[in-house]
Amino acid sequence: MLDREILVVDDEKDLRTMIRSIFESAGYTQITTAASGQEALAVMAKKIPGIIILDVMMPDMDGFELLQEIRAVSKVPVLMLTAKGEAEDRFAGFELGADDYLVKPFLPKELLLRVQAILKRAYPEKERVVTLNAAAVDLDRAEVIRDGQRTPLTAKEYSIFEKLAENAGRIVTIGVLCQTLCGEIWQGYETTLMTHIRHLREKIEENPSKPVSLLTVKGLGYKLVVKELEK
Amino acid sequence: MKPVERFFRKYFLSMAGIIVLFLLLNVILFFSMLIWAWQTSTSETPDLSINEICDNIIMDGEGHFTTAEGLSGLLEENHAWAMILDDAGTVIFQRGLPEELPRRYTTTDVAKFSRWYLEDYPVYVREHPQGLLVVGGEKGSQAKYYFSVNESYVRKLFVGLAAVFLTNIMVVILMIWKNTRRIEKAVTPILRGIETVSTGQPVSLPEKGELAEINRQLNKAGAFIAKKDTARAEWISGVSHDVRTPLSVMLGFAGQLEDDRTLPASAREQAACIRKQGERLRSLISDLNLTSRLEYSMQPLRMEKVCLVELARQVVCEFLDGGLEERYGIAFCADQESESLPILGDEALLKRALGNLIQNSIVHNPQGCRISVSILCGEAGITVEVTDDGAGVSAEKLKELTTDHRRLESMDEKLNLRHGLGVLLVRQIAEAHKGTMTMESAPQKGFRTVLTFPV
Repeated sequence: MLDREILVVDDEKDLRTMIRSIFESAGYTQITTAASGQEALAVMAKKIPGIIILDVMMPDMDGFELLQEIRAVSKVPVLMLTAKGEAEDRFAGFELGADDYLVKPFLPKELLLRVQAILKRAYPEKERVVTLNAAAVDLDRAEVIRDGQRTPLTAKEYSIFEKLAENAGRIVTIGVLCQTLCGEIWQGYETTLMTHIRHLREKIEENPSKPVSLLTVKGLGYKLVVKELEK
Repeated sequence: MKPVERFFRKYFLSMAGIIVLFLLLNVILFFSMLIWAWQTSTSETPDLSINEICDNIIMDGEGHFTTAEGLSGLLEENHAWAMILDDAGTVIFQRGLPEELPRRYTTTDVAKFSRWYLEDYPVYVREHPQGLLVVGGEKGSQAKYYFSVNESYVRKLFVGLAAVFLTNIMVVILMIWKNTRRIEKAVTPILRGIETVSTGQPVSLPEKGELAEINRQLNKAGAFIAKKDTARAEWISGVSHDVRTPLSVMLGFAGQLEDDRTLPASAREQAACIRKQGERLRSLISDLNLTSRLEYSMQPLRMEKVCLVELARQVVCEFLDGGLEERYGIAFCADQESESLPILGDEALLKRALGNLIQNSIVHNPQGCRISVSILCGEAGITVEVTDDGAGVSAEKLKELTTDHRRLESMDEKLNLRHGLGVLLVRQIAEAHKGTMTMESAPQKGFRTVLTFPV
């Protein structure tokens, strides 16, 4: 993942330097910068990068225009940097095909996390195996591997686990999990969710009544503690 | 609109009072004038009593008339004359009788002049032992009228006069009332407009009628204030926009220096300090921008069905996942009813409000505190309660936070944004959702904020 080429398009030199430095210190090696829309298109004409970080406000061609030009030739993931507050305008870039956006001023960590998440989504690893304390879960096959035994996950269990694994280390709220189970109208499905969680624990935990991987955060939701996310 | 109604009521009463006073004054003046005229005109003419004259003309035994001393003088002084007619109409005695007057009169003449004039001379008659005494004055000195009227006519006349008087008063008062109503109708929208303008809202009054010009000016004033407010909000928005990029660069480099293990610990601490202050600046800018937009109603609300419980969960989780330090703890609780009761709201704004409340508890309790967030369904709607067990604030500070409602207006005098702006924003967001916000606190007793949203 670290060898994916990142193209940073921003008219502000210091911001380009700062973003480059963030990714370099995180271990990324292929970072290109462009100071304008034209320059970015010239870079893209040679080689399509792995991800583009694009500022909305630029003098010659604004980020949205450039995004349209990019989308005309490629499906490369794009993260947009905007100076407008999230509550002020519904982010217009999604309709044009942006993958995510970040409001300035942002913290370096936020930028790194977003880019990593986009890359993970856009370029899925060949074998997605989540390693837990007592077991591992093969996401491609929807199976729990425990002591060499493979136990299949039900569709519901799988969708819950996938959501938790996507947000490993962070709390996923009850509402979000219920929504993955039954869509928009999720109220009243909390007990169903608890049943699925119990079944999941029986499959992945050494002691389901004392979970160490799939934790309950009282009143809020659940959190998956992952050993490491292997290839 | 109470004061306006009171004003017009007072105006109407005072007008009616003026009219009544005016009429009374006229009556008084009229009678005073009568009295004055009577008194002055009687004092100007010396007493010329026909009785006195009569007594002063006596016939002696020989058939000659003798007159008392001074009668001639008295008559002359008053430019008057006197004569006595016998039963046949012949003048048998006269003093100063003008030459042009006849010396003999028929019964018809007597009947005529006793009622009206004798050749334009005002005359008065009285019975004398020898005949009819006629005293005449100077031409044009006296007005003589004679009339006799029916008794019932006189009664009716007086009743009629009273009726005319009362009708007059009633008509005048009615007309004043109608006029007042008319003015009130024309002026009330203007007063309402002024009231609206004073709150900073634009007005649109119909620009027609006699007061069209005033309405037009008021519309202009309203539009002008609205334009100024918009300009102000846009200015704040523009400044905060321009600050974002430099602040990103600062935060980015500070964060990297903080994480750079090749740097000495003190330098990394300084970098951490720059980063923290930069983050504060970041939240201040976005609060200032949003609060000014809400203040001037420039923030479009995107109302949709929102489950407050789930929304609060997400906000709390963001704090918990975002590396909340050990000394802080957030407990969450919600009841079943509020979970299944969505409200209409703007998700981003509500998240911001709740986030601000939790952030406030963290920022104002650097020694750490327990924060509890609870969402409960009550009679007034759904309440979102954020409580901490931290330092709390003094009664004065709490009063300042609760009463200083439109802080933006006083921003020029005291740019005290560090405290209170976050709270102001929460209040604005609650009010934009037709909700309320209450705060309770005491020193060392923690801080409690309750937002109530109608369902």
